[in-house]
Amino acid sequence: MENYTKYKLKRNDELESLLADKDNLFIIACNKCFKEFETLEEPECSEFEKIAAENGKTVTGSARVDFLCNKTQTEKKLQDMIPEGTEHVFVISCGLGIQTVADLAEKPVYAASNSLNYTGYHGMALTERKCDACAQCFLNITGGVCPIVDCSKSLVNGQCGGAKNGKCEVDSSKDCAWEKIYKRLEKQGRLEEFLNQPVQLRDYSKVNFKFVNDYVKSIRENRLDGYYGGVHPAERKEFTEGMALQRFPDPEEVVIPLSMHAGAPANPVVQVGDTVKVGQKIGEAAAFISSPIHSSVSGTVVAIENRGHATRGECLSVVIRSDGKNTLDDSVQPHKDLDSLTPDEIVEIVKEAGIVGMGGAGFPTSVKLKPAKPVDTILLNGCECEPLLTADHRVLLEFADDVVFGLQAIIKAVGAEKGLIVIEDNKPDAIELMKEKTAGYSNLDVVVAKTKYPQGAEKMLIKRVTGRKVPSGGLPADVGCVVSNISTTKAISDAIQKGMPLVERVVTVTGERLKNPGNFIVKIGTNTKDLVDYCGGVTGDDEVTFKAGGPMMGFVLSDLNVPIMKGSNGIIAVDTDHTAEQPCIKCGRCMDVCPMELSPLYFAKFADEENWQGMKDKNVMDCIECRCCEYICSSKIPLVTKIKAGKNAVRGMK
Amino acid sequence: MLITELKSRETIAALTEGKKVFIINCVGCKEVHFPEKEATELQKELAAGGNVTGMITTDYICNPENMELRLQKHMDEIKAADVVLVFSCGVGVQTVAGYLEEKKVCAACDTYPLPGFQGVTPLEYKCDQCGECYLNLTGGICPITACSKSLVNGQCGGAKNGKCEVDSNMECGWERIYRRLEKLGRLDVLKCPTQVRNFATDDEVSK
Repeated sequence: MENYTKYKLKRNDELESLLADKDNLFIIACNKCFKEFETLEEPECSEFEKIAAENGKTVTGSARVDFLCNKTQTEKKLQDMIPEGTEHVFVISCGLGIQTVADLAEKPVYAASNSLNYTGYHGMALTERKCDACAQCFLNITGGVCPIVDCSKSLVNGQCGGAKNGKCEVDSSKDCAWEKIYKRLEKQGRLEEFLNQPVQLRDYSKVNFKFVNDYVKSIRENRLDGYYGGVHPAERKEFTEGMALQRFPDPEEVVIPLSMHAGAPANPVVQVGDTVKVGQKIGEAAAFISSPIHSSVSGTVVAIENRGHATRGECLSVVIRSDGKNTLDDSVQPHKDLDSLTPDEIVEIVKEAGIVGMGGAGFPTSVKLKPAKPVDTILLNGCECEPLLTADHRVLLEFADDVVFGLQAIIKAVGAEKGLIVIEDNKPDAIELMKEKTAGYSNLDVVVAKTKYPQGAEKMLIKRVTGRKVPSGGLPADVGCVVSNISTTKAISDAIQKGMPLVERVVTVTGERLKNPGNFIVKIGTNTKDLVDYCGGVTGDDEVTFKAGGPMMGFVLSDLNVPIMKGSNGIIAVDTDHTAEQPCIKCGRCMDVCPMELSPLYFAKFADEENWQGMKDKNVMDCIECRCCEYICSSKIPLVTKIKAGKNAVRGMK
Repeated sequence: MLITELKSRETIAALTEGKKVFIINCVGCKEVHFPEKEATELQKELAAGGNVTGMITTDYICNPENMELRLQKHMDEIKAADVVLVFSCGVGVQTVAGYLEEKKVCAACDTYPLPGFQGVTPLEYKCDQCGECYLNLTGGICPITACSKSLVNGQCGGAKNGKCEVDSNMECGWERIYRRLEKLGRLDVLKCPTQVRNFATDDEVSK
């Protein structure tokens, strides 16, 4: 691995004369980037401190910072960094870090280091390949050997004639690039084509300054829009976004896990041989954080046993053979209208209907509706920022009235002032419809958010819409918000208006490898394999990966023989990724995209060293496991797996 | 980090005309100005002609190990192609060309420099790695990159209304330096001795 060292301290005599008339120094050093991640802190800072001390200078303090050129983060870090009494700030970094600090600090800023030069910009991997960004790629006529960086003279029309024994006359340690080009083309039988090329002229005119500046500005705006970080993965929603919901054919047998929620698994209240009806309770909430479970079919309980589970491996489940009649249970009766229900009654209905967060996390909704702190705003999460998935999008389009009813119910239950339906701008039809539907209500509004992943994560959504920041380890209620998922809200409406507990949900079955993608209303407990088979199975012969959920946060399904659960918003079939983990090269992209403003590269390092205290100090518990870091990682490090290991270890420390 | 632009349609047509093509898209540096729309359109046209043997969209093809792992699955399609057309920066094309030494590997894009590469974030300012940082004399504004002419001893005098005579979209770097120094009460540093840029320093310090 190459080491693209960025800077070096200026010479001693130069530093001494620079220091001569200055005192009360504060030192900021950048930990180098684009190098193998071995040391946590680079040694130059202490070296400079030593020189300052030898010259009898007072150092008011020093700081070592990662990626000093990350302006947003550096700005925050600088706020309380420089102590009073400091007169001069010395920065040890490449030119970018120094300019960043010079822009931000109110004090005079000096460079204590020089940037080092290597010829040629490069991609991400630390290899010897270089690209000088000449803006007129010559590789097509040179067999993929670059004449600009590989030839000392950057000749574009053949060798200079000065090479001796194949070595460059400027640098005898270098092979003559043009001999390499000749050999490569000879091998490919392209010599004639090459020799007949017209003479190439290199155009040195610079790229338009405005173009580059506008471009840099626009990508920074994208990245920082609404909240720090995030990514823009290919959405690929076009497979299913235009497809109306279809009712999935009734399964002959359902397997209903007793744990489809956060907290304690439900206790079964039926026995093998019992006859059950649709909506009948078959499992009772076992604790405060738990949820009841209901039958999605009418028929006979044939087993209560451990069965495969998408996220837990195995789970105690109630297996019901359907009689195909879908007879409703007597308990399924519409409740009073919303005006006559008290907030407590609404919470009770939601609790009894077994409603949990249907975005995947599965937190019992009734608990959320009894926040410990006053809440003024309800946010309906209609972002569906996961690529591929369109379940919530279809629910918005086809059950708009139910969603509005559900939102009013939540507002009443919590005693909030207003409800905001937040929809990403990639769903203009849903935005238009919801604007129409909410027009008559003074307490409801639609907020359009520019598409960015992970916008649907509670903390990001709150930051984007209200500007409030949920404190580390806190809940949305700490900043006066409750966030609810679209499907969950629709389920609340069903529970009140029809008395129907949560026994079915909308599932998107899609992915580039699925034959016939679609959006389906599926009974809880339906076998995932049946769903995939119904959609025609997969296409192509290459290895395929199935996930429950979206491509970013979904769980890999090693076995399709698992049931659809309350939180199953999607089943996707995608190409298997054939890559292997490589060493971290400190490219800093994980820090650039982490919406929680953490430093994921440290988690990878610390997890490998089993340094759990280090993980804790770097706030691993704040990680929301959105997988942005893993997605952007140029070394393909399974960061989230390492983070989960760290979180488990930190929990064990208490 | 780099900006890429699609080569002209004529150039690409000349490379692919009557040939079987395998296409590699690199979307690794997600912030690279990759002409996604135009590229997709062009690739659709190529595919419609029935001459595309295969296509992959992947990331960081400059990372040889992972690039190879991914290409191995498509070796038959690559073998069947006359040209491997790579949509990436120059490093990506070279890495693929090095791996598929016997194949004609072509670049479909030109690569432009994007400021802020040296560090991590694309920034509005740039470091040219001159090896003898002048920021101490200029209040932290780089004369090498903020001045079109990379002057190190003050303005050329050609600026009009504060704008550079070389590129009127650009502010005069030396006027910015003057204002910054004035704000910091450090105008006296302009009295420093004449600076001579040592173009040899690069090599000396890096060895």
